[in-house]
Amino acid sequence: MSDKKKSNRSFKNSRVYVVFFALTVALVFSVLITSAATMLKPLHQQNRILDKKTNLLEAANLLPENEKMTPEKIQAIYDTHIREVHADPRGQILRSATGDSLQLYLIHTDQQVQGYIVPISTRGLWGKIHGYLAFEADGETVAGFSVYSHSETPGLGGEIESQWFQDNFKGKKILNAHNQLVSVSIAKGRTENLPESLQDHYVDGISGATLTGRYLSEGLEETLTQYEPVSITFRQKKGTQTHLETLLDE
Amino acid sequence: MGDLLSLFINSVFIGNILLAYFLGICSFIAVSKTLETATGLGLAVIFVLTVTSPVNWLIYHGLLAPGALAWAGFPELDLSFLKFITFIAVIAAMVQAVEMVIDRYSPLLYATLGVFLPLIAVNCAILGTSLFMVERNHTFIESVVFGAGSGTGWMLAIVSLAAIRKKVRYADVPKGLDGFGFIMIIAGLMAMTFMMFSGITL
Amino acid sequence: MNKDIFMQNDLSHYKEILVKGIWRENPVAYQVLGICSALAVTVKMSTALVMSIALTLVAGFSGLIISSLRHLIPSNIRIIVELTVIASLVIITDQILQAYLYDISKQLSIFVGLIITNCIILGRAEAFALANNPADSFVDGIANGLGYSMILMAVAFFRELLGSGHFFGFSVIPRFVYDMGFQDMGIMVLAPGAFFIIGLLVWLKNSLPGISHEKK
Repeated sequence: MSDKKKSNRSFKNSRVYVVFFALTVALVFSVLITSAATMLKPLHQQNRILDKKTNLLEAANLLPENEKMTPEKIQAIYDTHIREVHADPRGQILRSATGDSLQLYLIHTDQQVQGYIVPISTRGLWGKIHGYLAFEADGETVAGFSVYSHSETPGLGGEIESQWFQDNFKGKKILNAHNQLVSVSIAKGRTENLPESLQDHYVDGISGATLTGRYLSEGLEETLTQYEPVSITFRQKKGTQTHLETLLDE
Repeated sequence: MGDLLSLFINSVFIGNILLAYFLGICSFIAVSKTLETATGLGLAVIFVLTVTSPVNWLIYHGLLAPGALAWAGFPELDLSFLKFITFIAVIAAMVQAVEMVIDRYSPLLYATLGVFLPLIAVNCAILGTSLFMVERNHTFIESVVFGAGSGTGWMLAIVSLAAIRKKVRYADVPKGLDGFGFIMIIAGLMAMTFMMFSGITL
Repeated sequence: MNKDIFMQNDLSHYKEILVKGIWRENPVAYQVLGICSALAVTVKMSTALVMSIALTLVAGFSGLIISSLRHLIPSNIRIIVELTVIASLVIITDQILQAYLYDISKQLSIFVGLIITNCIILGRAEAFALANNPADSFVDGIANGLGYSMILMAVAFFRELLGSGHFFGFSVIPRFVYDMGFQDMGIMVLAPGAFFIIGLLVWLKNSLPGISHEKK
């Protein structure tokens, strides 16, 4: 090989050049990646918030069936019908958070409260399951359920994000015939195989995902026990129309 | 303790990184020709995974996660987008170290594994395990257990495949199917058997 | 006149690289190995499509960049530099997906990140980009990406159709077929289904004429 090529090659492999090259490459690409990440970060935040709002609306059955939803439409429905509030340990609804308050959402139309939504964060098979469980204003009937984040196995536990699983929650009751809190649980198999008295408190299980079902059931029971004071507040108002602002000022 | 055991068992059987998530198939095929290479590579992978998973955990939660740099005075900083590059760097370094150790203590294994040893660095299962660890928000101990579990599951799959391939060596497979296609069908059947484990409650 | 001939030669040259990459020169096993890490996203065609586009673009641009740097890279840090380029492109792609296709990026989860360890991209960088000019390397990257995409989409097509009766999310199996007793094949949605479909597709591709056969 020619002398020029030889010296070229040895320069390229010299320590000085290797370090210089490595540093330059590191610098250039760091700048590129960081600019992309920083510029796009606001969009990521927006997307996350919008996703949560969409799921809230889904749990509350406020999303129109076959309509294409734009971010503006979702924001509009959210602003009109959802109010983020807090509850203290006695079940009192508060406008803002205090030290030991729980977060929840009120569903309202024309200033009348129609239900409330409890945020769910339970343990799952692999990672946490995050979703929303919506209730009617009677404080015991489930209005809807949605999942916005989970790490379950696709096709098995991952089915918790599918329509059929979530739809089954509608109409279930968290109080049994003796007015005790029994929560809603995921059955192993189909609910039609369970005794009559239990059918209102269980949803169909997902075959092959017994563990996911079990963790979700446990998590729901734990969360609903925490939010029981709030549910009691709503049960006490059963039959009377609740005005949004009145509820907040009590 | 029960939770950790449960995580380990789940990673080996139900959520087997190869048979349920399809990661690490490239070396899966090439190295499963003999039981010896399969076992050797499997053990190497378990070791690399058990070490890189917690190391990456430390780097992620100490430097990259949103708010992780609070100890250095930068609580606002979110460098999580750098995780791909840092993880692969850690993995490459780790594999280099493992290579040197194997060369020192078993030159025969080093020679048999040949080019597949450095290829562990680009084995999807290794990077995949670290990424899952971040996505599933594991604690430090969980990342160790998850790494060991993933590795064990991967090794179980590759050793089983090597054993099966030995048995079917003289089978009369149709020409177009022979080789890669056949291995995929075998892997599918193995995946089905592993799914059976999801019926077990601990 | 001369310019026209020159242009024509250029186009057929690129066409040649394209065809080689997609169909002729890639042994099936090599291509299929590359898609393994993405099999998890073949449950639906929409996710498989986004994954294919992401990988094709990363393959093309990594080929372009690495080829442009090929005379400058010191040989002993060659692999590291290649990995850096590929990883950076993947990070940028992931950021873009999270910003503009948030729902799909949630479903793609870690699998976009795994493009970094994809055998095809690193393999082409080593085998082609280091020895050819940037324009050719870009086309080669795109070509290999397209070959990958074809197989990935084919697997997704069967898995979505047989597993849930959908095509890109639209229900396509007519009512009467269900009434006759057909049921969605749950196994297609799960891992074993993907393995079986891949195995059968490889068999099909190996049986077609004009394909290079894998070495045993």
